[in-house]
Amino acid sequence: MWMVNVRSSHGARRLALGMFALLLAVLFLFPGQSQGLLDILDGPVGQVVRLPLEAVSSLDQGISDMWQQYVSLQHVADENRRLRQEMEWLRGENSQLREAAAATQRLTSLLQFKEQALPSMVAAQVIGRDSSNRYKSVILNKGESDGIQKDMGVITPAGVVGRVVKTTGATSVVLLLTDPNNAIAGLIQRTRDEGIVEGVPQGRAKLKYIPMLSAVKEGDRVVTSGLVGGFPRGLAIGTITSIDREEGALFQTAELVPEVDVNRVEEVLVIQAPHGQTAETVARPEIGVQAQP
Amino acid sequence: MRKFLLYVGLVLLLVPLQTILLPHVAIWDIKPDLGLVVAALVGVLAGELEGLLVGLAIGWILNLYSAGDLWLNLVTTGGAGLFAGLLAKQVAEITPTILSIGLLLLSLAGGLVAVFSMMHATMSETWWMVRFVVVPQACFDAVVGAALLWLIEQRFAMPRFGMLDRYS
Repeated sequence: MWMVNVRSSHGARRLALGMFALLLAVLFLFPGQSQGLLDILDGPVGQVVRLPLEAVSSLDQGISDMWQQYVSLQHVADENRRLRQEMEWLRGENSQLREAAAATQRLTSLLQFKEQALPSMVAAQVIGRDSSNRYKSVILNKGESDGIQKDMGVITPAGVVGRVVKTTGATSVVLLLTDPNNAIAGLIQRTRDEGIVEGVPQGRAKLKYIPMLSAVKEGDRVVTSGLVGGFPRGLAIGTITSIDREEGALFQTAELVPEVDVNRVEEVLVIQAPHGQTAETVARPEIGVQAQP
Repeated sequence: MRKFLLYVGLVLLLVPLQTILLPHVAIWDIKPDLGLVVAALVGVLAGELEGLLVGLAIGWILNLYSAGDLWLNLVTTGGAGLFAGLLAKQVAEITPTILSIGLLLLSLAGGLVAVFSMMHATMSETWWMVRFVVVPQACFDAVVGAALLWLIEQRFAMPRFGMLDRYS
């Protein structure tokens, strides 16, 4: 029987207040050390929490599959899924071809050019969403034990999803492209102007720091620049829908619609090494083999 | 020992509830913060010390599954347990309505701290988050907390916590 104790002594009150004050002091005076101390415990605790998390996740997935396959129109759902997958592959391929075409134009004067190396990737499944409403992130069913580390890029065949910001032994947290705390180096595919892609709270993204002399226009596609971060060059980020040119400003800012609907993403690929493998074949069949979560 | 195991079970159950199941019942993409609600309820029912400790444990574990900063989760959830326990002693009778008002204030305070600690957000983005994330979530937390307290009262046939209980 649950017992209710509302008669906490003054000693307990003082102890609680003292502990809270001490905690605040430690967190603000020694942020790195306190974080490091708790990081040591994150691994074992993550393994313990993995059990209920996977149990509920498989139950959730089972119910979701049953709903989609038996309660909804089965054939339509299957066909829709197949077409969506195909569309994502085609989008990814289309983006790569556009990038290749742009590169060809720029490099016609050269007799030889390097082929773009394929990144090495690991497939993962989205099992949950951020435990708070203030951050836009998803939880993956793979973690440090699968070789996933902080700052690795996360994509689908259609384009960029986000980057890993936290890992435990069994899971990892991916900060989505649409979160205001995320920043990814981007490149306007047509004009080759670079900028930084950041999320906005309303669920879209913006490309900042575009030079004022850039001839960017609505409908231009933005891809990863590959200069910094865990992404290779040429992955689709989004399409520009509006441009903000303020008089007297040093840079232009453009609003983007992300290529991937990050709110509905279910399976992703985590880029372990952006320029890890060299391969002469196109990514599609290779990624298809690895993409089984 | 039994209580300790109950708290451990509660904390472990909260993670899949908050990260996997609650997104399905989110309204306008806003889901209640069960960690905050549970910490506050423990604070009210079991005192400020247990509220603080359980709140800290919940804040830490849930932070493993959030992109947010550790200190923020520890301070907001642990603080919710502590202050709920302290505030519960200042009112004549703890009813679901009283609890919902307390939770609304605690959730608002935690949300505002979190939003204003975001370095990259512009003023308009901050204001948007306050209007469309912090305030709705505080309302959601208040309703869920009141409903949970009412259910606990019904299930365990607990008397209302009046002044006499605390000072006799």
